[in-house]
Order: sequence, then C-alpha cells, then structure tokens
Amino acid sequence: MQKFSTLFFKYNSYLLFVVYCGISFLFIKFQDDDLLTKLRNNGMEVSAYITDKMMSYSYVLNLKEENDRLMRINTELLSRILNTETTALDERTRQKILADTTLNASKFIMARVVNRKFSDRENMLLINAGSKDGIKKEMTVLTPEGLVGRVTTVSEHFAKVLPVINSDFKVSVVSGKSNSMGLLCWNGGNESIAQVEHIPISSSLKLNEQILTSDFSTFAIRGIPVGKVVSIQPDKLFYTVGVRLAVDFSSLTHVLIAPLKIEAEKVEMIGESSSGGTFP
Amino acid sequence: MTKKYPLYIGILFIVALVQEFGLSHLTLFKVSPDIITIFIAFISVTIGQKSGTSFGFMAGLLSGILSGNMGLNMLARTVEGFIAGYFNIPDGSHATAKQKTKRLYGAIVTGGFCANSVLAAGYNPLAISPVYRIVVLGLIETLLTLILAVIVTRLFLRQSLAD
Repeated sequence: MQKFSTLFFKYNSYLLFVVYCGISFLFIKFQDDDLLTKLRNNGMEVSAYITDKMMSYSYVLNLKEENDRLMRINTELLSRILNTETTALDERTRQKILADTTLNASKFIMARVVNRKFSDRENMLLINAGSKDGIKKEMTVLTPEGLVGRVTTVSEHFAKVLPVINSDFKVSVVSGKSNSMGLLCWNGGNESIAQVEHIPISSSLKLNEQILTSDFSTFAIRGIPVGKVVSIQPDKLFYTVGVRLAVDFSSLTHVLIAPLKIEAEKVEMIGESSSGGTFP
Repeated sequence: MTKKYPLYIGILFIVALVQEFGLSHLTLFKVSPDIITIFIAFISVTIGQKSGTSFGFMAGLLSGILSGNMGLNMLARTVEGFIAGYFNIPDGSHATAKQKTKRLYGAIVTGGFCANSVLAAGYNPLAISPVYRIVVLGLIETLLTLILAVIVTRLFLRQSLAD
C-alpha cells in the first residue's frame, strides 16, 4: 500500500495527464451526444451573440436597412428565377411539369453572416437566424449568385453553416447543358475552385458549362447555381473537373436559407443500402 | 501561488475570449497567433506541470465550447500544458528574469507546436496536407505566437517573471 501511494505521488502529474486525455477522448467519442450538443449550441449562442454585437457597432445603420431591402427583393427574384429555370429544364426533357413535392414551403429565410472563419483550425459561417426563425439542420444556404453550404448546427437564434469550401462538404450536381452528373467537393487549395468527381469519361461536358445542384441531393433543392467548369482533366474512368464557384466567400454578408426538402424516405432508402454516413 | 488561482481562472476566460473574437481573425497563411498557448505556458513554467495540465484542460474546454470542437481542443491543450510543464522553474530557484523568460519561450514553442500537431492530426477543415500543416503552418503559427509572446512578456509579464 505504501509502495502504491509512493508511486501515486511520484507519478501523479502523469496520472492527471492520462485522466484529462481520457476525458478528452470521451468528449471526442460522444461529441454527438445530446448533452454535448446542447453545450456546444449554448457556446455557439454566446459566441455568435458577442460577434454580432461587435459587428453591429461597426455597421452603418442606413446601409444595413438598404441591404436588407435589396436582399428581400433578391430573395423574391431568386425564387422566380429558380422556378423558371426548373420549368424550362423540365420542358426540354419533355417531362410533365409537376408541382415540386420536395419543397414544404416556398419562402426563403434571410440571414446575415455574423461570423466567418477560414483557417486551418476552423472553417465555418455563423448566421443570425436560428430555430426561432424556422432554421433546421440540413437546410440549404445560398445567395442569388449560388450555393453557399448547408446548416449543420442550430441554436435558438443562430446557426452554423458548413460552407462549400470545407473538405467535409459534398453535394450532388449536374451540368446545365450536357446533364453530366457528379459529386461536388472541395479538396483544399484555392478557395474559389472546387472539384466535381465521378463524371464518366464518356460524358460530353464542356468548359464554361454551368454546374447546378441536382435532384439527387438529399438536402439541396435542384437548380441552384454552383459554379462554372474551368478545367476538365481525363483520368482512367472519370473526368476530374475544376469548377469556379459562383459565390465569393470573401465578401459574403447576407445569405438565404432554402426550405427543407422532405427527403426522410429517400435518406432512409439510401441508408438501408449504404449503411450510414452522410449524404451529399 | 495557489491564492492566485481564481485570478488565473478569470484571466483564462479573458484570454479565451480575446483568442476567439480577436486573434483568430488575424490570419496569416491561414494561421493566427495563439494567446492561449502563451497563458498555458506561463502557468506551466511559473506554477508547475500539474497546474499547467489542468489549466490546459480548462482552456481546451472553454475554447472548444466557443469554437464547437470540444474534445480535440481539450486534448491538444492538455498535451500543451503537460509538455510546457517540463520547462517549469521550481520554487526557490535562483533563476534570473532572463532565464525565466527563455524558459517561457521554450515552453511556448514546444507546447504550441505539439498542440498544433494534435489539432492538425484530428481535424483538417481546409484539406491541407498533414505534413505541410504540421511542419510549415505549425512553424509559422509558432513563430507568430512567439512574436506575440515577446510583446505580451514585455507589456504584462515582466514583473511576474522578475519575482
């Protein structure tokens, strides 16, 4: 016993270190646990509140109102454009124009970006709209220019957005003219260039073709512009396509949040065949 | 020294807020100076390894709550405090202020680099090559933190290190 206590006191800093590391590993393992998610959401609320207040002081009031008014007009125009484009696409492929059943509402929610981090430790956007404003996890975030990202965490007044320029982000896309389908991701490097994978070598994709979100996506509504093709490099089976993103993330101030798709059944079906994971 | 713990916990809150809302936005080559590293190194060097590890753990928890990545931040900061503890100046030592400052800088460089390596290995949001991230960006971050440490030492820690 005496030997044990001697050892304990001799190596207690090591023991402390091991205990703390153990707790840290538990936090990593159970990071999606309700309690930890709640704690993270509260932290995000505090963080966003402080950033919002800090930004508000430097925000010119008149410009803010004008910006909000313009964004409201943009929202209306964007929903009209998206509807028109989708209809035109459907006509081209001689399909019946059906009411879009994947949307459960027609209105977009507008929000202001209150914090943005683009560093090797953190890469996210924080917007000043939360569950109180109707924001839900997995909602699509966009601007009139194109796709911004998707909502990953929601607190009462704020939400965290995983931007397209995050290595964890993936979305199903389709090209405007040739209808080539692929998976858009960002592999680091230039923040205005993303990559589209899984486009077969037989596809007739051309440079400068517009890339839009496809109906395959489980979270994004179809027809949102993502960018334009700037490079096509053939590989053995697939093309590696470079896409210049439509959204300039360095000057992003306002965003729109699209209504959530009713895709529970689809996700369930995919989940059954692919056994878990996140869906693009 | 233990009487100062509440004060140090208060300072830890301020330091975490300064890092999260100020310094983390001052990025150069996608990295920013880290004032939390300076604080943890200071605790480890002046008080001891156990306190450094505990403060590292707390700092990790705090910055993790604010940034949303708790577990990894806690692990990185704990490692940082523990490593910096090897630069501790024992009580009753006759080390001069210059020697203490050198030890503090040593703790900042070593602890900061180790913490950055843990973070780089655990989370990679910009899809940067891990080797580049640990070696090149890690060194740039350490250098930026060291520059900040020189400024902080001259402005605030001169008296504490002279005691």
